[in-house]
Amino acid sequence: MKKETGKNLRELGYFASLGISVALSIFIGLGVGLWLDKKFDTNPVLMFVGLGLGIVAGFSNIIRAGKKGKNY
Amino acid sequence: MEHPYLFLTSVFGLFGLEEWAAHHPHVTYMWLAMVILIFFGWLAGKSVSLVPETAQNVFEVLISGMEEFVVSITGEEGRKSYPLLISLFLFILVGNLMGLVPSLYPPTASVNTNLALALIAVGWSHVVGIWSHGFKYIKHFLGPVPLMIPLFLPIELIAHTARVMSLTFRLFGNMMGHELVVLILLMLGGMFLAPLPVMAMGVFVALVQAFVFFLLSTMYIAGAIEEAH
Repeated sequence: MKKETGKNLRELGYFASLGISVALSIFIGLGVGLWLDKKFDTNPVLMFVGLGLGIVAGFSNIIRAGKKGKNY
Repeated sequence: MEHPYLFLTSVFGLFGLEEWAAHHPHVTYMWLAMVILIFFGWLAGKSVSLVPETAQNVFEVLISGMEEFVVSITGEEGRKSYPLLISLFLFILVGNLMGLVPSLYPPTASVNTNLALALIAVGWSHVVGIWSHGFKYIKHFLGPVPLMIPLFLPIELIAHTARVMSLTFRLFGNMMGHELVVLILLMLGGMFLAPLPVMAMGVFVALVQAFVFFLLSTMYIAGAIEEAH
């Protein structure tokens, strides 16, 4: 396989998996928040904290990809 | 949706294990995939010679081509992880292609198999990270400023869990969806060969999904080898 093709495939894989990782990050944050709420009986404080962290984690993925994409 | 007929379930029925095999088709068919892979590995390695012949030729092209590809992504350090990556690729490819044979069930159409594979791949990428950076690997998770650690640590943990989940659900969704479409079309218009075009596309889907899983695991390992940001 040529070197250029390998590099292109690598970038393709990275940017193609961006969308699903944003969505999953938000749901994982929400799920962890809900689970901790049930555990410590602090409805609904930790849910919002977890949701916020999930959203921040998802968007940090986008920002990181944007920084990476500047090289093109 | 239940399969109308599974070959291995009736084989296990001979030993009185029919109920267990009917509830765990992904386990029995994973064993079948393992047997197929071990058989082909034995076939290729049986008579290794300097001038390769038939089976050895095929495997040499496949394996050395993929090795160069992996090394071009991860750098020279990634060569140590290559056996795991190619095993993942071949196992998922065989598992996916088993979905195209009537009376076989693809083990990758079950979320259990995929979660196990994804945990192995992502877990190994952390092992490689600790291997090549030592204790400093933890800096990957802590962000640039010490003050921000309580914010960055959960974010990074969530991002790394999302990797496992995305690997799992991508493979599971594609294989399960393909299986379901073939079954429904078979019931609706099996007499008119309705599932045939979907099965032809299934060959392509099986190859692409196996390659995507392989490529993403390679990239996670490459990310672990890179210097901390």
